[in-house]
Amino acid sequence: MAHGKVPSANDWFRLDNAAKIFPAISTERETNTFRVQIEMTEDVDKDFLQLAVDAALERYPMFKVRLKSGLFWNYLDYNQRPFTVRPLTHKVCGPLDPRDNNGYLFQIYYRARLIVLEMFHSLADGGGAFALIKTIVYEYLTLKGCRVTPDNMILTRDSLPTKEEYEDSNLTYYDPQNHRHVKEERAFLVKGTPIEDGNIGLISGTISTAEMIALARNHQASVTEYLTALLMYIIYLTQIKYREHLKENQKPVKIFVPVNLRKHFPSNTLRNFANFVKSGMVMNRADITFDEILEETKKQFAFGLQPKELIRKMSENVSFEKNFFLRITPYFLKKFALRIGYKKMGLLLNTLSFSNLGKIDFPESMEPYIDNVSVAVYSGRFNTINIGTSSFRDKFRITFTRSIVETTIEREFFRHFTEKGIHVTIESNYVEEY
Amino acid sequence: MKYCDKCHVEVRTNQPYCPLCHQVLKGESELARMEVYPEYVPPIRTVRTLTKKAVLFVTVVSIITLLIVNLTDFDGRLWSLIPIGAILYVFVIIRLGILSRHNIAFKLAILTTILIAILNVIDQEYTAEAYRGWALDYVTPLSLLACNIAISVIILIKRINYRDYLFYLLTIVVFSLVPPVLCLFDVIRIDWPSLAAFGLAGGILLGIIFFFPKSIKAEIKKRFHL
Repeated sequence: MAHGKVPSANDWFRLDNAAKIFPAISTERETNTFRVQIEMTEDVDKDFLQLAVDAALERYPMFKVRLKSGLFWNYLDYNQRPFTVRPLTHKVCGPLDPRDNNGYLFQIYYRARLIVLEMFHSLADGGGAFALIKTIVYEYLTLKGCRVTPDNMILTRDSLPTKEEYEDSNLTYYDPQNHRHVKEERAFLVKGTPIEDGNIGLISGTISTAEMIALARNHQASVTEYLTALLMYIIYLTQIKYREHLKENQKPVKIFVPVNLRKHFPSNTLRNFANFVKSGMVMNRADITFDEILEETKKQFAFGLQPKELIRKMSENVSFEKNFFLRITPYFLKKFALRIGYKKMGLLLNTLSFSNLGKIDFPESMEPYIDNVSVAVYSGRFNTINIGTSSFRDKFRITFTRSIVETTIEREFFRHFTEKGIHVTIESNYVEEY
Repeated sequence: MKYCDKCHVEVRTNQPYCPLCHQVLKGESELARMEVYPEYVPPIRTVRTLTKKAVLFVTVVSIITLLIVNLTDFDGRLWSLIPIGAILYVFVIIRLGILSRHNIAFKLAILTTILIAILNVIDQEYTAEAYRGWALDYVTPLSLLACNIAISVIILIKRINYRDYLFYLLTIVVFSLVPPVLCLFDVIRIDWPSLAAFGLAGGILLGIIFFFPKSIKAEIKKRFHL
């Protein structure tokens, strides 16, 4: 598409490097969807929301698409069918069925004060999803007659889509010389009783952002480092301690932490442009302390966040995609290769994933209308628990999603804060009632 | 807001117990307030899912019955494979052709292709020497011809979605170019059905190239990008 052209039926997009794998590996249980949720201060009007989404989609031709299959790769093709918002259902990060969704790879739900965006990971990552929902909220408030201004923080219809927004930045910044594959050990997995019908339990806790930052700073750590270490410590306490000698528990506990590469490279893309750092530790001793884990985590983060290391991980993926033999294999065969590869080299290498989306900024004029912002990631068969965090003003929200009935990790995690005298407010979807 | 005095957390709910430790919560319910997340709604069991199950059941049972009958009275010939092929085809028609929500041109193209494959196998394996070749001579070109006409008509009627159908039309058009080649090598002995299919396919191909040159180029680029 030419620079700044109005979206048309001839638009189509290649899937970006990360997006290519998701259609092949996603199933009813491993849905690879994530949720971005904004709670407004007043009840959401569904008709205005519908109009707002229609308006926002004019600005985002790359989201007005559906997934189509080609002989070698899938691709995103312009979707001329209408998009409809829906009332929120009990499903958290469920599969997005293209048949009852007019083929869209995301869905907008409303309920009372909530506006919820659920997106399939092939379309974009958290960065792209937040750009979209911010535009939707902006359009919504404008339609409601609120005096809000975009302040250059929000993409509106006043600007035209640019080529930059569609680019696969992985291909821009990868280094063909630096793509060494580092072999990794399989991670310790949290086992539990699966929730029936593949439903996902959601528990989120709200704490004060200032208190959270103060707590991390007391330990000379960033919030991400502190929470990663805390998660590892809680897993040690609830799953491993007193059973350190068991064979299963010799595997390292590994936390997968996505890194937004837009903060490390000058990219404005709306598609997937994220990589990860991992913090891992074998927990086979009886005397592991939180401080010890935190020190280890800090070291691993410092190493993982070096530009050279980030480029290596990016290039590893790109060189895999660019492999000549993989490329010329027809897609229906390639699918199997991708599935096996992802299970061995993706899912089984992580205990859980922890996505910290950090501080979510809105223009000052919009802030009074928004109460809180939270993010959640699906949980599946192997990564039975995942965590998403985000902060808006003084509300730091930690959202656990789980595919198992047990809530021991959540319980001990939040008790860690209450024991320090930090006030925690809990919300749950009460999946155990189902 | 309710409170759990074991976890020391506030809980935004009207449910009676704490989601973390399952102890009963303190505090009054604010019934006027909606739960943050909606309640479970069991999936609706539709006629479609029931039909799917019934069709699968009938198919499996009849295949097993046919195999048993064939094997109890076995005379060296697996005749049951013919009705089994037919049953499987009916199964595919119902599941893919009727119950699935695929694009109609895709359905037509895939059903025609499977039909041609099955009939050719029956022709080659089960027809007496003197009559062999009917599937190649007549069925293959004529069903391709029919499929070509059908997809063209659909494109003419549902013009707004033509881009979705173009690729499948093109596939069948390309398939239709094969029988005349087989004629040249005398694999197909009766020429006119193949030539008729070839004529129509050639006409459609030229039509696509003349009328939708950009669409077809874009479609090929999309479908075959490496």
